[in-house]
Amino acid sequence: MANLYTKSDKKINEEAPCILACPIRQDARDYVQLIARGRFSEAYRLVRERNPLPSACGRICTHPCETKCRRNSTEAPIAIAWLKRFLGDNFSEETRKNFTEKYPEKIAIIGAGPAGLAAANDLALLGYSCTIFESNPTPGGMLRMGVPTYRLPRTAIDNDVEFIKKLGAEIKYNTTLGADITFDSLKKEGFSAIFISVGLLESRTLNIEGVNLEGVLKGVSFLHEVNTAGNAKIGKNVLVIGGGAVAMDCARTALRLKPDKVSVACLESRKEMPTTDFEIEETIHEGAILYNSVGPKRIIGKNGKVSGLETLKVKYVFDEQKRFNPAFYEGSESVIEADTIILAIGQASNLSFLKGQEGIQVTRGGTIIVNPHTFSTAVHGIYAGGDVVLGRGTMTECMAQGKKAAISIHNALRNATLKDEKWAEKPAVPDIAAPKIALIKKEQKQDMPTMPSDKRLDNFEEVELGFSLNTAVKEAQRCMNCGAGAFVDDNLCVGCLTCVRICPFEVPKIKKGDTTAYIDGDCQSCGLCIVECPAKAISFKTPLEDRGKDSLEAIFKDKYIQGVKPLIINFYCQYSAYKEEKERATDNLLVFHFRRIGVLGLGKVDPSLYLKAFELGAHGLLITACKDDECHFCKEKEWVEKRTKYTTQILSGLGMDARRFQIQFVSSQNGKEIIDIAFKMVEELRNSSI
Amino acid sequence: MKPALHNFQNKKRQFLMIVAASKPFQEIKQMLSGFKKVCVLGCGSCVTICHTGGEKQVAELAAQIRLAAKLEGRQVEVLEDSTLRQCEWEFIDDIKEIIKDCDAVLSIACGVGVQYMAERFPRIRIFPGVNTTFMGGPTEQGIFWERCAGCGNCILATTGGLCPVSRCAKSLMNGPCGGSQNGKCEVSQETPCVWNQIYDQLDTQQLLATMETIVPPKDWTTGMENHPRKMVIEHLVMKK
Repeated sequence: MANLYTKSDKKINEEAPCILACPIRQDARDYVQLIARGRFSEAYRLVRERNPLPSACGRICTHPCETKCRRNSTEAPIAIAWLKRFLGDNFSEETRKNFTEKYPEKIAIIGAGPAGLAAANDLALLGYSCTIFESNPTPGGMLRMGVPTYRLPRTAIDNDVEFIKKLGAEIKYNTTLGADITFDSLKKEGFSAIFISVGLLESRTLNIEGVNLEGVLKGVSFLHEVNTAGNAKIGKNVLVIGGGAVAMDCARTALRLKPDKVSVACLESRKEMPTTDFEIEETIHEGAILYNSVGPKRIIGKNGKVSGLETLKVKYVFDEQKRFNPAFYEGSESVIEADTIILAIGQASNLSFLKGQEGIQVTRGGTIIVNPHTFSTAVHGIYAGGDVVLGRGTMTECMAQGKKAAISIHNALRNATLKDEKWAEKPAVPDIAAPKIALIKKEQKQDMPTMPSDKRLDNFEEVELGFSLNTAVKEAQRCMNCGAGAFVDDNLCVGCLTCVRICPFEVPKIKKGDTTAYIDGDCQSCGLCIVECPAKAISFKTPLEDRGKDSLEAIFKDKYIQGVKPLIINFYCQYSAYKEEKERATDNLLVFHFRRIGVLGLGKVDPSLYLKAFELGAHGLLITACKDDECHFCKEKEWVEKRTKYTTQILSGLGMDARRFQIQFVSSQNGKEIIDIAFKMVEELRNSSI
Repeated sequence: MKPALHNFQNKKRQFLMIVAASKPFQEIKQMLSGFKKVCVLGCGSCVTICHTGGEKQVAELAAQIRLAAKLEGRQVEVLEDSTLRQCEWEFIDDIKEIIKDCDAVLSIACGVGVQYMAERFPRIRIFPGVNTTFMGGPTEQGIFWERCAGCGNCILATTGGLCPVSRCAKSLMNGPCGGSQNGKCEVSQETPCVWNQIYDQLDTQQLLATMETIVPPKDWTTGMENHPRKMVIEHLVMKK
């Protein structure tokens, strides 16, 4: 997909599954690749280009990208969401200072949740003045009211929202549609379009005996009270009914209020539960008891207060047509004791603000009906999106609706046909062909550091602590750059078969009846073929990978570089275990005589680039490549050896002192070893007559 | 079944496989000494496939020339370009604009390409950057062997499809000679004795009896003894 870094996507015929899986089509692959290269600010910028709420999204997204990640075939998916969180937590970007609104129209957005914020963000970028009307005193919508702080600290929401405000979006708090403002008052104020993204504010309730007893709480209200006012009252024995993410949130929140016992009862079996495994595991890990496959029959009370839940065993939850239609075993009643019951079985909308707006159609389930392409309701100028349309959506699905609605509003107001090409259908890179899995090096997934479980329940502090820089880079370097690897230009390929013969992953092929090579999505981006192609017909699909060229030129743009003598350029492989402290220490020690160019695998570097470095004025070149067993691509050492030998021959043919071009197979991890080598080289060159 | 070639219809290029080896850089440096603006010109055909005359080689050679000049404190401007085939007037005509200000062109095409350039651009000095070596192909990645001597009178029909003219050190018509040892040629232990291979091949094809036939001396006048050779395809010749 085209973005700041991939620019033209003409070469990409099959797109990475992670990108296609994302409702907002976040450029997951490309930001992960930038992190892998240590280009963090650019990675943040890329995330922000698409995603208005990166810090929040990096924490609570259900990450369908990871489900589709092709690394699933080799061991485990890339921690795409955690990497985004790493960016959101540690990097930021200045907004354009002289931000001007291009268009006179004002847009009203109702609700500052993910959909509303996404719409405001994109409309502001398109050049409209937008005002968000939020009924709460703070922004974030369900992110703030519903998601507990141990999963999503409020600073993360605030940081993201601050950025959107800087773009020019205004937020008016404590303003409720239907009470403080009406559709008519908005029109009178001159708003040309209204986007309704009020979310689902009510908890669904059960139609069973005892739901009105004292001690029965509604999930959303419970979370809202804990998260905003902090005055929720629970008893000593809490039972949460429900098996989704909100139920897990209720249970984990209740645990932090220190009752004696927290249990969760749901209709679904462990496998059917509609939330991520990670959430369920953390809930159990923190001490909640999980009752699967039980259905509520009635709530039992004593003196008007809850004393327990009578349950039935579940026969099945979904019927043969896969519809939600639970059935129970008769006579299987049992009782789970509880003095507080929290209902977390789903949410419902409150559409009271639609009074007098009969033109806006509503489903039986209480969601607003919109045109699925334009997000326009049946009433001209009124749009809707997010949970109030989806019924139950994820954060990214809601943001996607906000973003799509923004474009649609722009098109309607300007009579334009703007299209976001990222939502265009593209085939996904297919799963890795089975024989190739064995050729790809297994790289262990990095764990998220978490707060020890004995410390968690005393507070509402964030449980997941976030990746360190080293961990983030290491994790990002596992990415296989699906769909953006090498590309053969048909017009240049001479069919020499070099790529076909040398690829360590056996990817390039000459298809039957064809005379030129074709490289499919299994390409691992090692770059060996790009260097060896005699016709220079192969390149990377995205300009993100420059194989050291730009970095080399940048070094010589420094006007003080001429004064450095000896000036040594160190080409090193970025793969061998990036360690920030060591890297920095190395850089500091070597800062005067050394300039370092990191490349993801030295197999990408052309011998002519080494010649170019000398031509530009380097006095020495030090190539530090990984040791054999460390190679991310398994086989590059051999190629680095051959090419450096070839370069050495050329240089000695030109009468160059052999000490000026050195190759060392050391682990970049071992900072000291590199420093010793480097100092020795500086000494050697200083003493020679260069 | 379609004939195999049918698969390649509409495809742009087919090649002879002329193999050329890079000239020693010292020789190239000597040839180009004194010239201030030089173009290194590659050829997108045979020499690209044998990795000595393609775009990649152009870049490498140009970098070497520049670096050599820098090391010696000389100024030289080096342009880089390539043609689809240097052995076609139409393709090299495109290069005119690029090389018009050059003092010299280093062509890393085969000898044919170099001469085409020299004929088309008589005012510019054209130098060869490769030694055109033989007609052959890669037997494995990076290893090229001679397979045809262009003798003008092909005898592969009687030798099991293996050419003794190009692959026997003595171009024997009735081999093997006494220098064939353990399947290798006495000239080099790296070189398989082609007559030994011909024997094995005819054995496989149950045609060993043909080895008994004494082949009379070959008429070499169709070959290199008689150059320049010329071929005319009458019906394609256009009236001037």
